[in-house]
Amino acid sequence: METTSIAAAETSEAIMQPEKKKKLKVMVGIDDSEESFYALKWSLDNLYCIAPEASQDGSDGCKLTLVHVQHPFQHFVFPAGPGGATAFYATPSMVDSVRTAQEENSAALLSRALQMCKDKLVKAETLVLNGDPKDMICQAAEQMHIDLLVLGSRGLGKIKRAFLGSVSDYCAHHAICPITIVKPPKERSK
Amino acid sequence: MATTEKPTMLVGIDDSHHSLYALEWTLDHFFTIFPSNPPFKLVVLHAKALPSSVVGLAGPGAVDIVPIVDADLKKTAARVAEAAKQMCSSKSVHDVQFEVMEGDPRNVLCEAVEKYHASMLVLGSHGYGAIKRAVLGSVSDYCVHHAHCTVTIVKKPKIKH
Repeated sequence: METTSIAAAETSEAIMQPEKKKKLKVMVGIDDSEESFYALKWSLDNLYCIAPEASQDGSDGCKLTLVHVQHPFQHFVFPAGPGGATAFYATPSMVDSVRTAQEENSAALLSRALQMCKDKLVKAETLVLNGDPKDMICQAAEQMHIDLLVLGSRGLGKIKRAFLGSVSDYCAHHAICPITIVKPPKERSK
Repeated sequence: MATTEKPTMLVGIDDSHHSLYALEWTLDHFFTIFPSNPPFKLVVLHAKALPSSVVGLAGPGAVDIVPIVDADLKKTAARVAEAAKQMCSSKSVHDVQFEVMEGDPRNVLCEAVEKYHASMLVLGSHGYGAIKRAVLGSVSDYCVHHAHCTVTIVKKPKIKH
């Protein structure tokens, strides 16, 4: 019913509408915190342009990208056992196993995120990057010409006045595109 | 699709073109797609600074200046509200509530979030482009940290050279 009303409503707009469709490229940062999944849920709920009913013709309204940044594994790790602080270099096999574990972890996170998108009938693509999350997210948003960056904010809830997590704070300052910081819902209802 | 209550989106504007750009961005991305039934209720808020905060400790002549400053601030607020109204109607968005509140923008915006139970706050950001790595204006920075809802900061895209 909305499609017909959109077509009939505006006079000059109606002709412009199909071409002028704002293809919003949205990027949501995912890590293993609940807040980032809440941010994803928020985007799926509120960024209506993602919803399938908004797209009349074949071209979808928005493109959703899920980005997960893996922390680089430091090779110089681990004070050894109880004997003392003898740090040792991680052997290649250890590095590999940690890397595999990391990859499995990110795959699990992203599949969970993709499942959420699928439940809302939203097409999404995933992107896994390595490095410092702050920089990588800003860089990726810039390179991919993202229109809106959505990040969760840990809130560091113990402190009464919620502070942003460092990643969202950094991105809010340095990302070139509009950025949405989604805060975890308050316990008290509105 | 009769929703009982639409979530409220609050857009804070001041005299800068950054905030008007933020309003335009919001309208484009959330409202023009649904000309008949926008999913959000839009409230546009202008925080008018108190003349006392502007005049500061001006000394003995302050008493005379305050009304002049106040009149000027009122004119600015009216101009801003007018520009916002024009932008909304040019995008054919009519169900908008305009508000002008007095006080420090930071507190005004955060209080307004509470008052309207806004689900989202949209702000422009001055960017202070002279510094290469754009620093948020202090109001947007404060609101991002202290507002109890989702905050969106819209930056005016810089011309790349």
